[in-house]
Amino acid sequence: MAEFVIFFIMAAVALGAAISMVLARNPVHAALLLVTVLVAIAVMFLLQDAQLLAAVQIIVYAGAIVILFLFVIMLLGVDKSESLHDPVRSQRPAAIVLGVVGLAELLFLVGHHWATGTSSGPGLNDGSGGNVERVARSLFTSYLWPFEVTAILLVVAVVGGVVLARRSGLPPQQELELERDDDDTEPDAMTESTSEVSAP
Amino acid sequence: MTLASVHLTDSYFLTFAAMLFSIGAVGLLIRRNVLVMFMCVELMLNAVNLTFVTFAKTLDDIRGQAIVFFVLVVAAAEVAVGLAIIVAIFRRRRGGATADDIDLLRG
Amino acid sequence: MNPGWDFHAIAPEIIISATIIVVLIADFFFQYRRRFQTSQLATIGVLAAMVPVVTLAVNGGTRQMFGGAFVVDPYSLALTGFFLAAAYVTLLLSVDYIGDGDYYQGEFYVLLLTSLLGMMVMTSARDLITIFVALETISIPTFVLAGWRKHDPKSNEAAIKYYLIGVLSSAIMLYGMSLVFGLTGSTLLRDIALAAPRTPHTSLLIVAVFLTLVGFAFKVSAVPFHFWVPDTYEGAPTPVTAFLSVSSKAGGFVAMLSIVFFGFFAVPDTWQPALWVLAAASMVLGNLAALRQTNIVRMLAYSSIAQGGFILVPFAVAADGHAARSSFEAVVIYLLIYGAMNLGAFAVVIAFARRTRSAEISTYGGLGSYAPSFAVLMTVFLLSLAGLPPLAGWFAKFVMFRSVLDAGTPGATVLGVIAAVMSVVAFFYYLRVVREMWFHPVPDSVNPEPVQIPLALNAAIGICAAIVLIVGIYPQVFARIGELAAGG
Repeated sequence: MAEFVIFFIMAAVALGAAISMVLARNPVHAALLLVTVLVAIAVMFLLQDAQLLAAVQIIVYAGAIVILFLFVIMLLGVDKSESLHDPVRSQRPAAIVLGVVGLAELLFLVGHHWATGTSSGPGLNDGSGGNVERVARSLFTSYLWPFEVTAILLVVAVVGGVVLARRSGLPPQQELELERDDDDTEPDAMTESTSEVSAP
Repeated sequence: MTLASVHLTDSYFLTFAAMLFSIGAVGLLIRRNVLVMFMCVELMLNAVNLTFVTFAKTLDDIRGQAIVFFVLVVAAAEVAVGLAIIVAIFRRRRGGATADDIDLLRG
Repeated sequence: MNPGWDFHAIAPEIIISATIIVVLIADFFFQYRRRFQTSQLATIGVLAAMVPVVTLAVNGGTRQMFGGAFVVDPYSLALTGFFLAAAYVTLLLSVDYIGDGDYYQGEFYVLLLTSLLGMMVMTSARDLITIFVALETISIPTFVLAGWRKHDPKSNEAAIKYYLIGVLSSAIMLYGMSLVFGLTGSTLLRDIALAAPRTPHTSLLIVAVFLTLVGFAFKVSAVPFHFWVPDTYEGAPTPVTAFLSVSSKAGGFVAMLSIVFFGFFAVPDTWQPALWVLAAASMVLGNLAALRQTNIVRMLAYSSIAQGGFILVPFAVAADGHAARSSFEAVVIYLLIYGAMNLGAFAVVIAFARRTRSAEISTYGGLGSYAPSFAVLMTVFLLSLAGLPPLAGWFAKFVMFRSVLDAGTPGATVLGVIAAVMSVVAFFYYLRVVREMWFHPVPDSVNPEPVQIPLALNAAIGICAAIVLIVGIYPQVFARIGELAAGG
């Protein structure tokens, strides 16, 4: 009973915040609404006996990823309001129809008991230790190989981020020249000014 | 049916996740602001996470929770690269540009 | 529970990972003007990784780890070898291109090698989560590579478009995987294969498998998930485009092979209709759109969509008749041959662009008169893509049609007819470039003075041309690889 009430409140909050996020004109508002959704989902994780994930959800998602969004908004000064006017007129109705059809299809299937598989894995409450220990055991046995691969993936995400976001790998003098070119030329003429680095 | 007899089953969570996923997908298609589009992707990934956690509970299989870590890690890596692409674009066009200036998916 | 490491089996992956770290660190210590040496380190790493692939192939047998999530068998080894070879050719293509650009060197190779690592993991992945992580390891570096020319708006747009569609498709794919997990209770393809036919909710399984396949349909640029391809291919640096159109695309096909053949083969209703539509749409739309292109990179982009459609044909007929084995072989063989001829065509485009800085087809006029060797090689690659004997492309088409005949159902026959008609259409746009090179005068804007073509680029073109010619005349070479991959 209590669980049901909690679920109902959180679901209402999350859906309301999600819809407002999609419609928000200001990216900062959208980011704050996203945090609301994430916290509501963290509560749902708790209802589902996923204590570790609830904590990780708050720390990583709300704490790191959304902060990254806010930093980029701050850095670029793109927090101006955006008009919701759509330049591609046909796309919006098409998108909404597509979404509604997809949702209807999924909801149609919900009436049944979905999870029909018989699990072969370790249970939620098997063995000793808490939730953390059991998740860790699964992570370091069944999923050890992808876990190792994600290490490289994170390294390369950092490398890629730095490559794209830093000003340039050029020595300072040439860098200044390139930037001056950027300022002087219209975007259409850009291909000319950088032609020495751009075969087709 | 009294309120006390209502039990929280996996269907509630799965329905909620399906709705969240659809909101994210529609948002991604109708918005033009790249940052909000990224946030819509996060919404979709969270719906996926909730689905995995729900199945972990219903199937009594802890692996469903372990999988969520991979989704989290990959989402973080994707966001880092995606935001770097945005920074690279706006570096080039300074002077109070809004995200609307990027011609996206118009061709 | 000890995961039980078999270091010989993962030696290729370990070597590439070590090379990534070494290149990353070495980049700090090289003098600015000597940064090109990082490419040599990367090349040594790729070549070294081929050694354990060969020793594993000689030892034979099947090796398993992590409860069956990681399998080394002839199929995975054949494709790992293919990815290493394709990466080696891409390195040859990139060396001078990236060097001339005066951009950062080391990071380019780090990103390329990481993408390669993702492909190698993909070939032996037999678990949905490993496949997902491998797919992201392929994709995330390529997002950055597509936007490598930061000061070029086209490259920016290529990157952001590719990125948005990539993350959207991976979110959809993950949702499909989560439903598969709920329906079958496992992420291991082996367990899924046992549980899938027993699930009572066939309709939900269809949705789940379809959503999962959408992710790969984006990766292999099947119509209607192809609209990022022309702009991204045109905007990205050309060596990266070559890499995207061959390696990254093949990575998507490998994932599809594993999921369809090892996971859901017993329930063909869930994937066959969708793949049939994807195959037919890709062939028709890819070929017809390619007819209208005036830019050679965009033409090759649509041509690669169309070739992807041809590769999807064996998938769509795999469960019919006795086509299971021949369709698996057909996909593997087609991928190997497509890789060689497409990389070759892009290598000539890159070499040509050193002369003219242009990718318009009209600037290829008269190439045969002032650079006959290039014109001959380009003709070889294009006619091979068109499927003309005795070049390798005919054998790829042959194995594709063989799988259609083995299937023998009406659906397969219709698809075979579409493939045949579209193969004829394809001749027109490939021959248009050939005609331009041999029978048109040199345009005024092009200076027919010889330019220095770097050795690495020549080597890349030579390797691809040799494979196209040898396999075209002795197709037994690749036929044997295909047989081994399909299980002996």
